[in-house]
Amino acid sequence: MNDLGSTGLRPGAEALSHLGRSVEAIRAELGIDPVSVEAIRDPAIYALEREKIFRRAWLKVATAWEIPAIGDYKVKELPVADASVLIVRGKDDRIRAFHNVCTHRGNKVVPTSDFETFGRARANVVTCRFHGWVFGTDGPLRSVPLEGSFGTLDKACLGLREIACESWEGFVFINFADPPEQSLREYLGDFATLFGGYPYAEATTAFRYSTVLECNWKVALYAFSEGYHVPTIHAGSLPGFRGIEHADFKLIGPHASSTIYGLGMEAAESTARFAGLFHAGTDHGPRPDLLPPGINPTGRSDFQFELPNIFPNLLIHLASGCGYPGMAYFTHQFWPLDHGRTLWEGINYFRPARNAAERVAQLHVNALHRNAWLEDTATMEDTFTGIRSGAIDEMQLMDQEFLIRHAARTLDSYLAA
Amino acid sequence: MMSATMTLPEGFADLAELAARWARPTENARSAIRWTASAEDFAALHAAMMPRLDAVLARLEGCPLDGMDSAETRLFCLAAAFAEAAPHHELYGGSAEVPHSFSARRFVPGHGDTPSWSTALR
Repeated sequence: MNDLGSTGLRPGAEALSHLGRSVEAIRAELGIDPVSVEAIRDPAIYALEREKIFRRAWLKVATAWEIPAIGDYKVKELPVADASVLIVRGKDDRIRAFHNVCTHRGNKVVPTSDFETFGRARANVVTCRFHGWVFGTDGPLRSVPLEGSFGTLDKACLGLREIACESWEGFVFINFADPPEQSLREYLGDFATLFGGYPYAEATTAFRYSTVLECNWKVALYAFSEGYHVPTIHAGSLPGFRGIEHADFKLIGPHASSTIYGLGMEAAESTARFAGLFHAGTDHGPRPDLLPPGINPTGRSDFQFELPNIFPNLLIHLASGCGYPGMAYFTHQFWPLDHGRTLWEGINYFRPARNAAERVAQLHVNALHRNAWLEDTATMEDTFTGIRSGAIDEMQLMDQEFLIRHAARTLDSYLAA
Repeated sequence: MMSATMTLPEGFADLAELAARWARPTENARSAIRWTASAEDFAALHAAMMPRLDAVLARLEGCPLDGMDSAETRLFCLAAAFAEAAPHHELYGGSAEVPHSFSARRFVPGHGDTPSWSTALR
């Protein structure tokens, strides 16, 4: 899409060519001026973000394959919205989201032990441990102990409080607005088409890492939103990364995307052996043919992964086995816990190993990538301290950092609305 | 005499000492060992395992994740430890920490206490 004509495109790629931007077009559209760090530094802006972004935008909270069976649930703690959210697969196989709040007096229906809690509802009901109120996994209040002692109790109005919940490609999103201003499909817009059609649900082996970072959520988001840092920050875990090219810039409404091309790293001895195990078959080997046509539209052989920013806080890096050996894709999410505290979540997704050797190879690739994330996260708390010190008022952004520039502009537009 | 859970499959007895030192079923347990290992420990593991890796992987290719016997499981756990420790010898100069990195102890693996051969990692 960058500086490309319409010839030589993969079938179907033309339909999304309007998303592509050359460097010159990006500069013209987003500008080249430094970007203020005030939105990162000012706690008052964080208070606005809570209301105007996290209570308005669609937020990914689960995947369908995390809760595959009827009755499976996940509880997600979202301090940014002062909410505990129950995401549950009902008897009708539909995934719904509810406030994890008993309508009796406000206790959590499902007790939680961490930011994420998993379980399975027996007999398709969840029961509050406080007084035993029973709710169906589709929401209604089913039974109340000593119901007659309430005098009057309109059970029909006392179901779990539902939150708008829709899915795209198996990624489950919620929206706290009642009702949301747009459907999820409308909100994702062309992003849903650009990234649609990849068999995400087949990569069900997930290695999830999280940590609480003492920084504003946008510091963490921005650190993962560019490839400029790769040769320096990742000199340890990705030595000799050759010919890296951050290209194919795309603007997609509130979202944006881009592509990392490169010849890859000089694999260490063990990595080469483990990668060989993956590359021997089609299950885990590079599958550029599975990429949606708007991604790597000319079919370059040095494609590594697609790097998008899905507003406000989600990245899905789609590799299809072309980047890290055997890895289908990986995601990042950045959940504000407070103005200066962030829960970061990174998840590596692989197709299921067919035998124990493939799992060992997955463990190796997963460890390499986890270690690269350790290098990434090393900068974030220092960056936030630096910004809070008042020593700088602006970020200097180069072309490969356009996702940051775009996200900052989108954020401003939401706050101004 | 070695207990059943301490044995390795036939042909891998030479790795028994390494297995006693490194083989653990979960990522958290393996990390705890790795974080206290020395450059010499990493080098010794690499020197012993790398020449045997083809044989180890060939043996494990015949094992379904949910059908390993105790000896195969132990070989898997050793191979898993090597898979995670090899970069410390090959890339990080023998350091137990990833150089210039965030503290690994602050990363929480959601699967950290789940046996690494589990088919239900999510």
